[in-house]
Amino acid sequence: MTNNTNSTYSSVRDRDGLEARFGVRVASMLGERAQSTAPDISERLRFAREQALVRAQAARRQEQAATAPVVVSRGRTAALANPLGWWFKLGSAAPLALLVLGLAGIAHVHDKAQIAAVAEVDAALLSDDLPPAAYTDPGFAEYLKTHQE
Amino acid sequence: MATDKELSDFLKSVEKRAFKRTAFAVRDDDAALDIVQDSMIRLAEKYVDRPAAELPLLFQRILSNATMDWFRRQKVRNAVVHNFSEFSGPGDEDGEFDILEMLDGIEGNVGTESASDSVSRDQILQLIEQQVAELPARQREAFLLRYWEELDVAETASVMGCSEGSVKTHCSRAVHALAKALKAKGLAP
Repeated sequence: MTNNTNSTYSSVRDRDGLEARFGVRVASMLGERAQSTAPDISERLRFAREQALVRAQAARRQEQAATAPVVVSRGRTAALANPLGWWFKLGSAAPLALLVLGLAGIAHVHDKAQIAAVAEVDAALLSDDLPPAAYTDPGFAEYLKTHQE
Repeated sequence: MATDKELSDFLKSVEKRAFKRTAFAVRDDDAALDIVQDSMIRLAEKYVDRPAAELPLLFQRILSNATMDWFRRQKVRNAVVHNFSEFSGPGDEDGEFDILEMLDGIEGNVGTESASDSVSRDQILQLIEQQVAELPARQREAFLLRYWEELDVAETASVMGCSEGSVKTHCSRAVHALAKALKAKGLAP
């Protein structure tokens, strides 16, 4: 049984090998004949190849132009712009982000200073001998006003 | 990225086989030249950024697609598909043809210097070319891609848009059909 399987496998491999040899041999003969192409056909193939190379060069130039920095001018001013560059976009966004963070920081510091000032006033009021309710008394307010003058 | 020289050398190395292969398919030299030129330009424009090693497979795929586009434009695709499937003669799958015998015969007639008559040699080469041209389209395509363009089975399957098993079947049938046809023409030991 195993011998039969092995011999079948071997014969299939032999057959594949023979077919491949035959194919390669026939193909090499085709290649031999293909090399003797008529001059007009060779000339057209050469022209086609040159056209393709011209297109390839144009495609390369186009690709380079798309990725290279572009000078954008308006009136007297000129600027470099690169619509596709991530680094350029990142570089443009960074100052704006820094400005927003700076403003937020200033607002935060200002709020803390205000809170500290109010706390200081509250602490002074609460630690004073005079009760805070006295400041709501119109007579006492008038007394303070007169003494300040 | 392939340089201009690499692209030029590649196109130069492949252009005549590409023309012949296309001419086999469309049976019109002018149309074949147009298709090859179109394929070269498509390769140059769209895949110029690819490395040189990828060019052969890309080009074969583009050429196959361009040939199929030509058939579509000619509105004869149905006829072509019909031709693809019509090859199912009684001798296809038999083991009656001794490929080894045929191989020896061909090598004896053409492959060695003993075939000294160049006119006769040219006639034999012409006969072989004619028989290849008469193969059913799918068999011919598989045969040429495998043995002429030297693609492996997987690459051939990728270009043809079919399974590797189909490629092997097409190639085997093509070899047997060629052996049978050449034997019938007297190109046998």
